[in-house]
Amino acid sequence: MRKWPAIDAAAVVILILAVAAVAAAPWLAPFPPDEQNLAARLAAPGGAHPLGTDHLGRDTLSRLLDGGRFSMLVAALATVLTGVIGLSIGILSARRKGWLDEFFTRTNDVLLALPEMVVALFIVAAMGTGFTSLLVALTVTGWTPFARLARTLAYDVSARGFVEAARVVGCPPSFIIFRHVLPHLAAPMLGQATLRFGQLLISVGALSYLGLGVQPPQSDWGSMLAAAQPYAERAPWGILAPGLAIFVIALCVTLIGQRAARRAADPIDAIVTEGQHA
Amino acid sequence: MLTFLAKRTATLVAAVLLSSYAVFLIPYVTPGDPVRKIIRSRVAGDVVDDSTVKALSESLGLQDPLPIQYLRWLGDFFTGDMGLSHVSRTPVADQVIPALGITLSLVIVALGTAVLVALPLGIIAALRQGGKVDKLITTITQSFIAMPEYWLAPLLVLVFALKLSLLPSAGWSTPASMVLPAATLALRPISFFTSAVRSGVIDALQAEHIPAARARGLSRTQTILHHVVPNGLVPLSTLFAVWFAGLLGGSVIVEVIFAIPGMGRLLYDAVINSDIPLAQGGVVLVVGLAVAITTLADFLHRILSPKVGGTLA
Repeated sequence: MRKWPAIDAAAVVILILAVAAVAAAPWLAPFPPDEQNLAARLAAPGGAHPLGTDHLGRDTLSRLLDGGRFSMLVAALATVLTGVIGLSIGILSARRKGWLDEFFTRTNDVLLALPEMVVALFIVAAMGTGFTSLLVALTVTGWTPFARLARTLAYDVSARGFVEAARVVGCPPSFIIFRHVLPHLAAPMLGQATLRFGQLLISVGALSYLGLGVQPPQSDWGSMLAAAQPYAERAPWGILAPGLAIFVIALCVTLIGQRAARRAADPIDAIVTEGQHA
Repeated sequence: MLTFLAKRTATLVAAVLLSSYAVFLIPYVTPGDPVRKIIRSRVAGDVVDDSTVKALSESLGLQDPLPIQYLRWLGDFFTGDMGLSHVSRTPVADQVIPALGITLSLVIVALGTAVLVALPLGIIAALRQGGKVDKLITTITQSFIAMPEYWLAPLLVLVFALKLSLLPSAGWSTPASMVLPAATLALRPISFFTSAVRSGVIDALQAEHIPAARARGLSRTQTILHHVVPNGLVPLSTLFAVWFAGLLGGSVIVEVIFAIPGMGRLLYDAVINSDIPLAQGGVVLVVGLAVAITTLADFLHRILSPKVGGTLA
């Protein structure tokens, strides 16, 4: 294991702290997230409200912690869902080859050309707003980067001598996939998943910001931003807190993901990690 | 090359047909009576009584099998008849075409800005590969990927419109009103473009014709300008096309925040108001254009760099 640069180590620490804080929101939050205090509307940060209050006098810190649960949970769910779908399709394409591979590659090309937001708008138009359509909107186009990566890597590993050897001695395809293909894919796929989590977190916020994602009374970082925007001049902390939260988390996972991708691309590193996983 | 052309064109046609069929089905899958929804997008006056609905449903062919209705709908669409908006009661075509024009100019300004910023940054970073300047440029531009547009835009409005009163906070009437939306939209492409130019130039620097050019007596500057930079631009051209296609409908957030009457805003309004014909017209137009642009970019990429091969290209 090489020494971690300070910036990457800081990213990991910040991410762990943020996940812990959001998970412990009910115990950490100084107020219930929906408690209104009309006497303390748009209060500046300080005193009882470390991050100030919004236009209904709700505590920004409490809402940030509570909203973060939703934002991060949906992004994580969408990452796992798109990752599993992409991984399965990628391996299937590489192993079966032929028309199936052709079909998935073409579908991938087309989905890549579609503007993500238009697809999301279309799905909300057809299915209405809600948790399910939010997840579907993120998944329909979201599996493609995973499939692309999994397909390329599965092709690579299938051409290696040890896979050929395993096939010749009569190992069943399931054995080859679980013993040889998946371990080879694990590290780069995790790196990709980390990168995608950051982008999905931004997309969840975008849909909620537009009022197409999270539905009241639940709130998330995107909907908090939208609600605070009319009061930006009087109470700028309202737009600072949720936006900074998304930016910092997305930045941390991007740094970690890029590090993982670099390691996966480095052949010496790859041999080391392969040895550890085998 | 010919099989590639044929395959790509077939994919393009299949993609447009499939996505437009999905769009055609919106009145059937959303809550409410599909016949009444379709009549409302075809007949200007309000139709309430059942007998008129029945008569219109027959004269408009709404009892025909769905594939036949679809073909008729698609034919109308391509001859410019996209139906009537449920909200404004005016032809959809009269709304989507001007909106598309506004979005096109916004996207061109934003991506042009991104190229102008990313080109020098990427070239400098590549020439100083591994150095402090490279690390600084790479770190800063890569952090742009994590910046949500719906945060950057309110911040820019707060600083430049509300506090400093330098630029308008919304609208689309003067060149000054284009600055903030174009800047917001350009940030993420800058990140991707810089990294593409940087790796393109690094690759080009390692090619064998570089020492050859130097040996022929070309100066370092001449070699870089004539041999390195043009080769480094190939990855940028593909990326530009992908972003161009993506932003045609992907500028929703920026257009909503800055109240720009473009395609993104139109699609958003259509969805919020359940204006089915407007959403249908907008989505088919944007998706068709996006798929066409990326296919065209693929052809160009093939011509520019013949070494590109394989189905994954």
